[in-house]
Amino acid sequence: MSCQPGKLCWEGFKRTRALALLGLLAIIFILLSFWSFTSSRKQAIPRNVYYADYSAVEGKRVFQSFNCMGCHTIVGNGAYFGPDLTKLYGKVGPAWLEAFLPSAGAWPTEIAVQIKLNDAIIAEDAGVASIDAYKKKYPDAAERIARRGGHPTMMPNLPITAENVRKLVAFLKYTSEMNTEGWPPEPKIDGLATPYATPMPGAAQVAPASVAPAAAATPAASAGATESAAAPAAADDSELIAQGSQLAQTYGCLACHALDSKRTVGPGWGGLYGTDVKLTDGTTVTVDDAYIKQSILDPNSQIVDSYPPGTMPPMQGILNDDQVSAIVAYIRSLKGA
Amino acid sequence: MIQIKYETQRLSFRFFVVMLILFFFQVLFGLLLAAQHVDPTILAGTLNFNVVRAEHTNLGLLWILCGFIGTILFIGPLMSKRELAAPGLIKFLFYALLAVVVWNVGTQALAMKGIAGWWKGQPWLQEGLEYIEAGRAADVIILIGFAILCYVVLRTFPKRSEWNEIHWGLAIGVVALTAVWVFGMFFTERLDLQEYFRWYVVHYWVEGVWEVIHISLVGFLLVLMFDADVKSVGFAVFWGVVLVWLSGLIGNAHHYFWIGTPEFWQFWGSLFSALEPLPLIFCFWHIYLDAHQDAKPLKNFPAFAFLLGSVVLEHVGAGILGFTMTFAITNIWSHGTWVTMSHAHLALFGTFGMLGLSAAYYILPIIRRATNFDQRLGKLSFWLVFIGILGLSFGFAIGGTIQVFLYRTLGLDWFGGDIAPALVFAKGMVLIFGMVFFAGVCLLVYDLLTLGARDKAVATGEDMAEHVLAPVGSARPLSGWETGIWMLWMWIFGMIITFDLLSFNLSTVQQGNATIPYLMGFVGYSGLLLVSLLFVRRFLHAMQARGAPSLAAEGQSAT
Repeated sequence: MSCQPGKLCWEGFKRTRALALLGLLAIIFILLSFWSFTSSRKQAIPRNVYYADYSAVEGKRVFQSFNCMGCHTIVGNGAYFGPDLTKLYGKVGPAWLEAFLPSAGAWPTEIAVQIKLNDAIIAEDAGVASIDAYKKKYPDAAERIARRGGHPTMMPNLPITAENVRKLVAFLKYTSEMNTEGWPPEPKIDGLATPYATPMPGAAQVAPASVAPAAAATPAASAGATESAAAPAAADDSELIAQGSQLAQTYGCLACHALDSKRTVGPGWGGLYGTDVKLTDGTTVTVDDAYIKQSILDPNSQIVDSYPPGTMPPMQGILNDDQVSAIVAYIRSLKGA
Repeated sequence: MIQIKYETQRLSFRFFVVMLILFFFQVLFGLLLAAQHVDPTILAGTLNFNVVRAEHTNLGLLWILCGFIGTILFIGPLMSKRELAAPGLIKFLFYALLAVVVWNVGTQALAMKGIAGWWKGQPWLQEGLEYIEAGRAADVIILIGFAILCYVVLRTFPKRSEWNEIHWGLAIGVVALTAVWVFGMFFTERLDLQEYFRWYVVHYWVEGVWEVIHISLVGFLLVLMFDADVKSVGFAVFWGVVLVWLSGLIGNAHHYFWIGTPEFWQFWGSLFSALEPLPLIFCFWHIYLDAHQDAKPLKNFPAFAFLLGSVVLEHVGAGILGFTMTFAITNIWSHGTWVTMSHAHLALFGTFGMLGLSAAYYILPIIRRATNFDQRLGKLSFWLVFIGILGLSFGFAIGGTIQVFLYRTLGLDWFGGDIAPALVFAKGMVLIFGMVFFAGVCLLVYDLLTLGARDKAVATGEDMAEHVLAPVGSARPLSGWETGIWMLWMWIFGMIITFDLLSFNLSTVQQGNATIPYLMGFVGYSGLLLVSLLFVRRFLHAMQARGAPSLAAEGQSAT
């Protein structure tokens, strides 16, 4: 394959022959490509996949807008920083995703997912209405709640509006339905049950047990709160604040609200009480007990200017009056940083 | 060659300056990514990982393109024996490039707010697709820039009947560069179709167009450096181009295994992309042949070192590491993990980045009239950069092997915090070798930018004497036979890595025993990268022994 100076090497002839062969390969490639996208392939099509009236096409636009692929992978391509998202919807279901996406900085607690199931659209898409049935149907959601619920994630909070959350779920529903020819391969064993689950000796491992209490404590905590709140009004204020603090954790409030004055997804609670805020309708109100209570039970009724509506789920029918009072007392007690 | 022959060759200077500045920032962003891997809270909310990564990949592509353009502008007149056509357009190209860089760096940050600038169904500001993150507005300017490059190259070249194979290679290269770019300029609804076309741009650029440009430029630089015969180098370029395209055209199918396209691609992709190392082995062999055309002393050490590094890393990173993960039964494991990144860093920076740096070291001293420059900084920076990239690729590879086991065998996911602690060692290695690399880059950028401007007094004799080694030990003459043995060792370790990835199919591994893949991975990757390091050292030492006093004396007494 070398050509000595002065020798005849037939470059032109060889060039023509190579081009002919290349043309043949190109024809094979184009035919295979054509065959790949015909309808006989029965591949999922984003136009046909809907979630809560949004098509997966709209979701794909949101997915690209936030450059999700810049951290995650999708069908295995992307940045290898966060987990692969292709089959996520099928594993954790729509309610978990809806609970996670608006406040990606924290893992959803069980109650946060449960609240989402109160939404008829989400429950219908999930195919179950109760949290127990949901956890059974989506064991990966159950595992995430049990192991991580209420803990901070490694993902920053992103300004994903309620509408965009639904679009994203529509897109993930589509990718989850895609036939990816057996990728990713299914593990044959339960990794957490094997002694090899910590392959780096000495590296810190979050044991499932150490995280579990957050979720396990849920029923007990809410029962306790109801019980003590029912006690006479003479109950110690600090006790009420402690209950509020516990409730804020259990219900996943802290996924969106910081304890100082910093705005994360929602406004920070520190120093919030007693300030004046301007609402979207132009009026100015003072943050007092009544305002906070109303904002918890029906947040969309009085949205503060510059916050998108529909981000926080209404807690009406989820928290009783005493629980709300405890949370209000807790917020009142927080001083600004 | 020691001085400029055509005035328009000087136009290449500004592209190299921009290349070096962008390279510096790209590596800085890379270092930040490595730090964010270790602690994800660094700059979270201010400069999110995805934005930093978009800058890292985009600047990487842009500075490599700057290197190509600069080199083409410098050798274009030499190949055509006349001035470049349309120097005004080239100046316009330069300012368009600057505008695109600034605009693109700015718009990538919009991803944090989810703003893509949708208008007429297209994302105009940024589009959130790996490697082609630039929005449509930048895409259009880039397309115009490529068209200008095509026009300049084709107008500068002589009549078609006078073209040799290097002309053909470059002409096909720049035209295809432009044509392929168009496939990245549409919003596609279907994810499978989007990925299908995205790889048109990424794969055909890297494994089609860029490799063709690479082969042509390496060929011509060898002609310049060693007075190799144009015709015989040209013929090698021809074979290189033919092998690249015949294997790479359908070889693209190795990206179509798991993106939602049918199973038959697994057959075609595995078959053809297994042939993709052939042109790289051929190129590797040719740099040996051409560098041994004569036994004259090496005049410009850094330029040749980076050129050798480029060809060796192309062979190791693109050829061997690419080969290991190109079969559907190995790719199913490596896909979506750090194993891929190891290959990507060695192949992309190694092949194309090092070529640009080699060209800069060859061309800048000529333009700056400083061909007798002090080469010590360049030599040191080469070794830092070379060791840095090998080390961080090793970190990625080991991290990737652990990741495959955790993901696919144990079924652990990122969310549990199970993966991050297991990768501590690998992440640390990437960060440490990243710093070694960065140190090399700082030296190199400083050296090249101030070349000729600082300390003109450095004489030729003193510093060059240090480069000359006695022709014994690692500096004894390198034979073709020995080169073949080195290459064989690289492939032996490459096969160990291939079997390492294959071993994930074993039932003992799938039952949770990681011994085999971890052991084979460690031996394979460390062996491959060490052999590469030692081979380059051996090759360069042998080159440095040329013109050693004893040899020169022998030569004199013989005549």
